[in-house]
Amino acid sequence: MSFWGQTLEIARVDLRVERRLGDTLRIVLPFAVVALMVFPLSLGIELAVIRRIGPAVFWSLGILFGMQVALRQSVADTQERRDLHALLGVDPAARFVGRMLSGGVLMLAFLVVLFIAMVLIYGPTLPPGSWSTVLIGTVLFSIGLTELGTLAGEVTAGLRNRTALASLIVAPLALPLVIGASQSLEALSRGTGILPWVLLMLATDLTLAVVGVGLARPLEEATR
Amino acid sequence: MTRIRALFGVAAVAMAVGLWFALTAPPDTLQGQYSRIINVHVPSLWLAFLAFGVTALGSIVWLWKKTQRWDRLASASAEIGVLFTGIGLFSGMVWGQAVWGRAWDWGDARLTTTAVMFFVYLGYIALRNAVDDPVAKARRSAILGVVAVVQVPLVYFSVHLFRTLHPIQSISPGGSNMPPEMIFAMLVNLAAFTILYVALMAARTDVARTEETFRESELLAGDAVKPPKLSEVKDV
Repeated sequence: MSFWGQTLEIARVDLRVERRLGDTLRIVLPFAVVALMVFPLSLGIELAVIRRIGPAVFWSLGILFGMQVALRQSVADTQERRDLHALLGVDPAARFVGRMLSGGVLMLAFLVVLFIAMVLIYGPTLPPGSWSTVLIGTVLFSIGLTELGTLAGEVTAGLRNRTALASLIVAPLALPLVIGASQSLEALSRGTGILPWVLLMLATDLTLAVVGVGLARPLEEATR
Repeated sequence: MTRIRALFGVAAVAMAVGLWFALTAPPDTLQGQYSRIINVHVPSLWLAFLAFGVTALGSIVWLWKKTQRWDRLASASAEIGVLFTGIGLFSGMVWGQAVWGRAWDWGDARLTTTAVMFFVYLGYIALRNAVDDPVAKARRSAILGVVAVVQVPLVYFSVHLFRTLHPIQSISPGGSNMPPEMIFAMLVNLAAFTILYVALMAARTDVARTEETFRESELLAGDAVKPPKLSEVKDV
């Protein structure tokens, strides 16, 4: 099977497992929406403040719960499954890209629903063209966070304090993505261009993709 | 051991000379005596960048050659880099409190990105502490060492990328806006901090080597104890 055939097969299996289990959309997403409601409750009826902080809260919760989505897949990837992939001759780079694709799709779905929930709950004043900017930002943010989550999940595979450790690795490294995504919306409000922020996210995504594919084989060996 | 002591001796002398130049250089007209903090702040962060660069280099060479000494180099450099980043952050906050009136300013992109870089490498150290097997430890941390270095250019260029309160580079190819005496004092301190970095690296890699020898001897001692064979046990 070709590289892209392996990649698409891995992504397809991951998404089928998610469709059957529904962890992301049935557990993580409702939890994130509840967290979204905690902020206005703790602030009181300060409508102006709630409207202002909406997008910031969205990106904060996006990274916190997005990490759960990104790491969930690699946690579910057992040693037996890895061994099976290795015996079947699956290219480690194809495994990385496949995982990135399926995780990216899930993350995108998660963030889009969370953004709609944020708009409904916080009622932020969004400048014209916000939806397309948010969509671009969300797509690039999803890809980058999934790449980081896959890398961190592999690096911490099999360790007893894996979840905490992987989160400690992902959260600070995701900074360029958070800055790019949040500042592109801010730039739109100020009337300045969003291109530098989109380029920052794109550069981060590409760097992580190159590193992930380049280090796929050592990553595979690291978990044995 | 003698070599390490000698290195620390040279570092102590260099630091003393650096301190003398830092205290005798003319103060900045606007910032006054607080401008002397630059002699600690700038060299410590330059050394942190160098240290994290060495970590990335050591990690890449380890992944290529799988030689344990590159792992020792990478991990020692990361630990020392975290130390220098901590010093740089703290001295920057002291300067900010004195000059801006607040230690932490969210308008300063360099401060925020440096703090994040600090946490990235704390994660690197935490990962190393979580793995027992030396080869697995080296392999996993080498991968993270390569990924983590992406943070360094972000910190360096943050003053150009974002609207920030932080002063731009003290010295650039286009020249400097600082008096020559201040630049000279800062460069002397940079040299002193570099010698300190080399001494700390030599000491830390030596400790790591001793730890490895100790681990190997522990295994040998464990291997020496074997359960008796049934045929050797009397009165069964």
